[in-house]
Amino acid sequence: MNAESNKMKMDLVKAVESWAISQPDLVALYFEERAITYKDLNIKANRMANGLQGLGVERGDRVAIMLPNIPEFVYSFVGILKLGAVAVPFNTLYKGGEIRHILRDSGAKVLIALTNFAPMINEIRSELPALEQVILTGERNLIFAHPESTAFIQLIVPIDLISDVDAAYEKMGHILLDIVKEFGVENAWYKHRGSVRVGGDKIATFVISEVETVRVINVVLFLAAMDTRDFLRVVWVPPEIRDKVVEPLTSVEQEAGKRPSWKEVKTTVTDALKREFEIEIKEGAMVRDELFGYEKLCSLAGKVR
Amino acid sequence: MKWKIFSRKKRKDEWRLIYNPEGKIVDLVALPGAVIEGRLAGRYLMSSSVTKGTVIISGVSQKGILAGVDVAVDHKAASENSVEIAYQPRSGRASLRPAETINFEEMMLEAKSDFDPVLRDPDDLACILYTSGTTGLPKGVRLTVENFVSEQQATEQALDVTTEDKIIGVLPFFHVFGLSNVFHLALVHGASIVLIPQYSPGNLLKTITKHLPTLMVLIPTMFGHLQVLLERRKKGLPDSIRVCVSGAAPLPRETIEIFERASGCKVLEGYGLTETVSACCLNPIEGISKPGSIGLPLSGFEMKVVDENGKKLPSGEVGEITVRGDAVSRGYYNLEGQTRQSFIDGWFLTGDMGYRDQDGFFFITDRKKEIIIKGGLNISPREVEDVLSQHQAVKDVAVIGRKKGEREEIVAFVTTKKEISKKELTGLCRSVLSNFKIPDEICFVDVLPMSITGKVLKKELAEDYQDERRIEQDENGSG
Repeated sequence: MNAESNKMKMDLVKAVESWAISQPDLVALYFEERAITYKDLNIKANRMANGLQGLGVERGDRVAIMLPNIPEFVYSFVGILKLGAVAVPFNTLYKGGEIRHILRDSGAKVLIALTNFAPMINEIRSELPALEQVILTGERNLIFAHPESTAFIQLIVPIDLISDVDAAYEKMGHILLDIVKEFGVENAWYKHRGSVRVGGDKIATFVISEVETVRVINVVLFLAAMDTRDFLRVVWVPPEIRDKVVEPLTSVEQEAGKRPSWKEVKTTVTDALKREFEIEIKEGAMVRDELFGYEKLCSLAGKVR
Repeated sequence: MKWKIFSRKKRKDEWRLIYNPEGKIVDLVALPGAVIEGRLAGRYLMSSSVTKGTVIISGVSQKGILAGVDVAVDHKAASENSVEIAYQPRSGRASLRPAETINFEEMMLEAKSDFDPVLRDPDDLACILYTSGTTGLPKGVRLTVENFVSEQQATEQALDVTTEDKIIGVLPFFHVFGLSNVFHLALVHGASIVLIPQYSPGNLLKTITKHLPTLMVLIPTMFGHLQVLLERRKKGLPDSIRVCVSGAAPLPRETIEIFERASGCKVLEGYGLTETVSACCLNPIEGISKPGSIGLPLSGFEMKVVDENGKKLPSGEVGEITVRGDAVSRGYYNLEGQTRQSFIDGWFLTGDMGYRDQDGFFFITDRKKEIIIKGGLNISPREVEDVLSQHQAVKDVAVIGRKKGEREEIVAFVTTKKEISKKELTGLCRSVLSNFKIPDEICFVDVLPMSITGKVLKKELAEDYQDERRIEQDENGSG
C-alpha cells in the first residue's frame, strides 16, 4: 500500500465505511445498555447525510451540533462529513448570546440540539437569518410544578387559527403581557420569542408546538416565588447546567406584592383570550373519547421507570 | 363529568375551558394529550365533534416534576420529598414537536440508509471549532479534512490504537481534545468508545469498573477526582487500562505520581490546541517520559521556541512555542487580522511560553496571552470584563486567572462609581455567561494598576493578590 492511500485510511468517513464492511459487528459505541456496531453507525450516518441533503444542505454548508456525548452526536458528525458539509460542534453550556455569536459567525444553515434547548433557540432565532432548520433530539425536558407558584395554561387550537408561527408567538406574548399587567406587574416586557420578563428574570414562559393539524401553546406562569431545592434533591442536575434548568425567575407576587387567587387567574386568562381571539369560552369537561385517551396517558406518563 | 357527544355549530366560535386548579402533575401531559388525540382521531372517526379550541388552566395540589424520559429521577428521594413524578412520552412519528423544528428520529426514519459520500479535497473544511481567545467572543478555528487526517496519523504512531481498544468517552466531543483524541482516534482505528454524556467522578469510576477500558484520555481535574475516590475505596483501577493520557491543562508532578501509585496506571502528559487539532506533543509511551514536560513533538509536527522577533532560541531558553505541520489549522474563520497575527509562514504562535531541553522535550512555563483555563475550557478575561463593565455602577474592571492548587479560578477586580453588591454583579454574569465563565471571586478595589498607556497591569494585579493571600495564610498559620 502506498503512503497516500495509507494516509487516507485515517479519514473518518473512509475509516467508518471500511470498518462497517470489513468488521460489521465490531462495536463502535457503548451507550447506556446498548452496543452500537460500526455497521449500525455507518447506516445511521448515511441516514443523517440523506436527511440533511433533503433539507438542502450541500458541500461546504455549515451544520452546528450542540449535543453532549450521545450517539446522535456521532451520527451527526459523520453524516455531515459524508455530505461534504462542515461540522460546527459547540459547548452545550453556552448561553443565548454565545450561541447567537457562533451561529451567526459560522452562518450555520442547520442546528442539531437537545429538545430542552428549544425555548432558548426560539428566543434568538429571529436574529439568525442563515439558520434554516433546527433538528431536535433527546428527551431531557424538565418542568417543576409547585402548588403555590406555578399556573399552567395550555391552548389546543387548529393550526390555521394563526397560520404563521412568528405571529402566534407574537400574539401569545402580548396576551401574557396583558395578563401579568392585569395582576399589577407594570414593567413586564416581551421581546424574545416565548419569554415574558421583568428586568432580566422570567415571569412567564411558553412554547408553541405542533402535531399534524393541531397547534399547542404551553404556558407556565409564575404566580409566587418557587423554592427549587426539593426538586433538585430528586433530579440530579450537574452544577454547571443548574442555572439552565433553574433560570432566574420572578413571579407576580414578587413584582406586584400579591399572589392572584385561582379565581382571578381563571377570569383574567379567559377574558384576555376572549378579547384577543374574539370568541366565547365556556367551562366544560372532556368528552368520552378524550376520557379514554386521558386514562391511557395517565398510566403511561405516571409509570415509574 | 359532562358527557357531550354532539355539539351544534355556534354563530360565534366557542372555546371550551377545562379548569383544573388542583390537578396532578400527570395532568400536564394527559389532559392536553387526550384533547390532541381526540382532535386528530375526531377527523377520521367523526365521533365527538370538536370545539374550535380548548383552554386548559391547571395548577397542582402537590409538588411535581414533569420530566423527559432521558432525565434521571431519584424515585426514593421523590417520595421522601413528596414530589410527584410524571414522564413526557418519547416523541416520535406524529408526535408533538416545537413549531418550526424537525424531530431527529423522525428524519432518520424517513431517510434512506445508503449514501455515496461526497468527494472532498484535503483542503475542504471539515469542522469549525470555537475557542475563547483574548479578544472577547469565541473565535472559530478552521480545520480541514487534511488537518484531521494528519493528526490521526500522528497519534496512531504514538498510542498504537487497534480494534482491541476501548476508550472512555467522557471528554466532550464539542471540545478539540475529545473530538480529536477520543472520537476520531477511536473510530479511525476501529476501537470502541464508551460514551459518558455527563461527567461526575462517581459516574466515571463506575463506567470504568463496568466497561474495563484500555485507554483513558482525561483532563487533570478528572485524574485528581479519580485518585481521591480510589484512595477512599482503597482499590486501584482495572488491569485492562494500558495507558492514560492527560492534556488541556498542566498536571502537577505530585498528582501524576500519586495517581500512578493509586491506580497502577501510567499517565502520559501531552499538549495541544484547537489550532493543532489537539495533541501535537506527547510524552512517549515507551522509554523515558519526563514529569513536568509536555513531551516530544508527535510525528508530522515541528516545534520551536522563538523570541519576540520570531528568531529561534537555543535549548534551555524561554520564548514563545510555535508549531508547524499538516495538522495545523490554516487560520480563523472570518478573522483575517487575527489569522495574520497568529499564523506566520505556516508556523502557529501558540501564545504559550516555554523551552526545549537538551533531549528535545518541551516544557511550558507561562502563558503569553491572557487566557484563563478552567476545567480544560478556555475563558477570555475580556469577555467577562465586557459583561461586568456593562453595569452602570462599574467604573473599571480587570479579570485575571488565579492558581488555586491544580485549578485556575476567575477573579474580577472592580472599581465602582456607586455602591453595588457582589451578588448583583454575579447575577449579571449569570444572566449572560456560561456558568464556567462566572467569576469565582469579585474584589472591590479603589484603583487598578495602570500603565502609562492606560492598560491595566494585570501581572501586578495578580502578584499583589498573591501577596495578600500569602499574608493571610501566614497569619492564619501563626495564629
